[in-house]
Amino acid sequence: MEILTNGVGLSAVVFFPLVSALVITLIPKSQEFLIKGFALVSSIITFVFSVLLLLEFDFSSADKLQLGNKISWIKSINANYEIGIDGISLPLLVLSTFITVLAIIYSIEHLPEPKSPKGFLALILVLETGMNGTFVALDLILFFVFFEIVLLPMYFMIGIWGDRTVRTVAGFKNQIETRLYASIKFFVFTLFGSAFMLLGFLGLYYRGNKTFSIPELIELGSAGAFTGTFATLVFAVLFLGFAVKVPMWPLHTWLPDAHTAAPTVGSVLLAAILLKLGSYGFVRIAIPILPEQAKAWAPAIAILSAIGIIYGSLACLAQTDLKRLIAFSSVGHMGFVMLGIASLTPIGINAAMIGMVAHGVITGLLFFLSGSMAHTYHTRDMGRLGGNMKLLPKTGALLGFTAMASLGLPGLAGFWGEFMALLGAYNPLEGLNVTVFRTSMVAGAIGTVLTAGYLLWMLQRVNLGEPSEEWMDKELHDADAYELAAWIPLVILTILIGVFPKLIFGATNDAVIAMLSKAFGG
Amino acid sequence: MILDLILPRRSKYYVAAFALLGTLFSLAPLVVQWVNYTNPIYAFEDSFVVDKFSIIFKGLFILITYLTFLLSINFIESDKYYQGEYYYLLLSSLLGALIVSSSRDLLTIFIGIELASTPMFLLSGWKKGDRKSNEGAIKFFLLGVLSASLILYGFSLLYGLTGKIVFSEISTFIINGALQSSPVLLLSAILVISGLGFKISIVPFHSWAPDTYEGAPLPVTAYLSVSSKATGFVALIILLTKVFSSAGESWGVILAIIAGLTMTLGNLVALQQSNPVRLLAYSSIAQAGFILAPLAVAGITGNFQDGIFASVTYLIIYAFMNLGAFLSVQLFSNHAGSTNFYEWGGIAKKSPLTGVLTTIFFFSLAGIPPLGGWFAKFVVFRSMLSTGEPIGLTLGIVGAVNAVIALVYYARISKVIWMDELKDVDSENSFQFESPLKVVGVFTVLITFISGIFPGIFSYLGEVSSIFFGN
Repeated sequence: MEILTNGVGLSAVVFFPLVSALVITLIPKSQEFLIKGFALVSSIITFVFSVLLLLEFDFSSADKLQLGNKISWIKSINANYEIGIDGISLPLLVLSTFITVLAIIYSIEHLPEPKSPKGFLALILVLETGMNGTFVALDLILFFVFFEIVLLPMYFMIGIWGDRTVRTVAGFKNQIETRLYASIKFFVFTLFGSAFMLLGFLGLYYRGNKTFSIPELIELGSAGAFTGTFATLVFAVLFLGFAVKVPMWPLHTWLPDAHTAAPTVGSVLLAAILLKLGSYGFVRIAIPILPEQAKAWAPAIAILSAIGIIYGSLACLAQTDLKRLIAFSSVGHMGFVMLGIASLTPIGINAAMIGMVAHGVITGLLFFLSGSMAHTYHTRDMGRLGGNMKLLPKTGALLGFTAMASLGLPGLAGFWGEFMALLGAYNPLEGLNVTVFRTSMVAGAIGTVLTAGYLLWMLQRVNLGEPSEEWMDKELHDADAYELAAWIPLVILTILIGVFPKLIFGATNDAVIAMLSKAFGG
Repeated sequence: MILDLILPRRSKYYVAAFALLGTLFSLAPLVVQWVNYTNPIYAFEDSFVVDKFSIIFKGLFILITYLTFLLSINFIESDKYYQGEYYYLLLSSLLGALIVSSSRDLLTIFIGIELASTPMFLLSGWKKGDRKSNEGAIKFFLLGVLSASLILYGFSLLYGLTGKIVFSEISTFIINGALQSSPVLLLSAILVISGLGFKISIVPFHSWAPDTYEGAPLPVTAYLSVSSKATGFVALIILLTKVFSSAGESWGVILAIIAGLTMTLGNLVALQQSNPVRLLAYSSIAQAGFILAPLAVAGITGNFQDGIFASVTYLIIYAFMNLGAFLSVQLFSNHAGSTNFYEWGGIAKKSPLTGVLTTIFFFSLAGIPPLGGWFAKFVVFRSMLSTGEPIGLTLGIVGAVNAVIALVYYARISKVIWMDELKDVDSENSFQFESPLKVVGVFTVLITFISGIFPGIFSYLGEVSSIFFGN
């Protein structure tokens, strides 16, 4: 169909949620049913659009940017509305529209305090526009705008609907509610990274024939247009911008706070999609445009990733808070993704791609489950939980399944990303320091063991054993229909990707190989 | 051409309605001029010019004044005295601003600057019984006189050096006589920058701003922080490019240091404020640093076109989002009856519309896309990095850090109004959002959004600034 191939379809995926959000703000507050229904329908329509694009996508040339368009946007600075998708962005785009649908299904019955579905659902939809836009943007300025648009809705989601526990934070005189501290910390960290990232974009613009177009800059970059101190500086600021978002150790400190404080749906979207904006930035922008610098920085990135993996899993072992544990596990999993990217090999970057999707699906599900349990038990303290299998059999079974997927059990989605990232690190791109990478690989392998350790320990503390006295006489509700409707698709996806990793590789492989051969030759 | 100058004055002793109509009506000749524009028109022996640059700024000044009137209507009516004088003074100030944007000689520009600022001395002391208002007005007056004398001193040096008063002749004289590096010229530039520095409240000439802003009636403060500042900047842009451009390297460095200090100091002090008006005062100091920075870089690199484009774009976007911010402060402080915004906890629940507006304006000031402020910040960064000069790069980094600092206090207001608990639940006084204020809200919010989503509309400014610098 023409409207799918000429960019209109792609734009619809980006802007339809935004338009729906505006419509929602016009519906009177009292019409709760209408608001929820409308939000659900529009997120489904967006998802259907993205599936139609998937069907229209030509997988035989997945290495080329497709279904896009380019129209003039800000003439005076030569920034264009340039969009398109290839095998790298396609899976992430579909994941994003899909997770949003599930997030809205879950929110229908499980709105966090203070309820106010109107604002909450509108913010989710605005967030979706930002996420989808980032994955399709092929112009640095457009990318930057979408990259930033996600900040506001997430800030308000954490700040208004977040965790109200009062705690003492180092550096603050008075006690402060977790949500208030976490929301501004999230905002400031990310903005700090992206303010510098913007300076880097401008640097590329002035050295690169005054263009912001990513494909054109990739051509220039692979032809060796960016060299010397200039390129090192630009890579440094791009690294800062993306690494905060991923987040890589030691820039990760906003993440546990944000995840723990965010409402369930916020954590899900944060883990499943927002973190990917950073690693996607590396694959889409930093590496292809500045290949030489990527090569120079790769060992450092590998070391930081390895530290992130070990640090993340050790931190998990020390957690008593279920949600915080999952948050730290994200640091570890994103470490594997970045390790794969740092190897700069097809196998490593493919691992990163499948790792991103798998982490989105699995950790998204983990956050759903922990959020729902926190709602049921009114606590996330693992010391008080226990015997969950007996109390909430459905939720407990799903938690067991997801934890297995998260620790990388073969046959489930999490396996491929970890395994192949280690494989990539064993044999990195020619010219990279093999010792550093193999050391990182060993660290990563130790990390997998630790990961298995903390997840199994978590299961033992939460799921197994006899329920404590505390819960005996309480009426506890197991998962309801809305929750199952949001969770089961993720379970199916976990198994599907685990058994047929080709679902992802089929799209990404050609694109990854083309990107790398353009950047590094051969 | 003169029509747009005369019309507002006719409304001298009439009340609000006539002032509103007069300002709106005086936009008409501007539109006609814009449409029929071919070449700059000079009058009075080259000392007065109508070019696209001046038309844009005249339009801006008139719109700002119009919006200020709308902000003032309810406020002044509740006072019951001196209505006529209030509008008269604002219109006189507007006339001064209009003169500045067209002036091309030393005398005209001086008269314009003073005509624009003198009425503000009176207006800032409008709340006669209020000690803060009096204190602010006196500070403003004393420093205003000082700044006028500095400007005059700078002008007289310039006249002594060249013997001319028309800008084009002065600049030709300087180039022909190879006076670019004359210390007298530099001294004169420094004096003029210092004098105008008071008007645009840059460090170290900013100290009056917070007190005066706090003391003056809110609409007057809004006008001061937007129109007076813009007038100062227009005068500065004209003088720097038309007179001092050949000595750019020397004043460029000074301006760059001032710009960096201005943003940093303004932002750091703004972090500590609990009064929204003082917060906006310091934020407007910081924003002045951002507007100044491209001019500084332009002076050093000689790339005036990019610099003027960035400053002018920033100034225009800033004008509307800042007016909007004052509107929201006016609404909330009227409702809460408190000028400490920490006491506004959860107030947005009383009027979600105002809450959304406030959020939009403050995040736009912080420069978060897709609100207009991001494009303003973006063009400023762009001009800083345009040539890869070390000073430009340093300013870029300082600016980036400042953008993050600024977010903290801009976001704090949103945090308080949305996320904190509603304090006095039983105070059931209904929320007042009068229709003139609604017009201001709709207008400013539209501009904030449009300039953020379709910044392409500012493209013509690039052309305008090249024409402006060319002639």
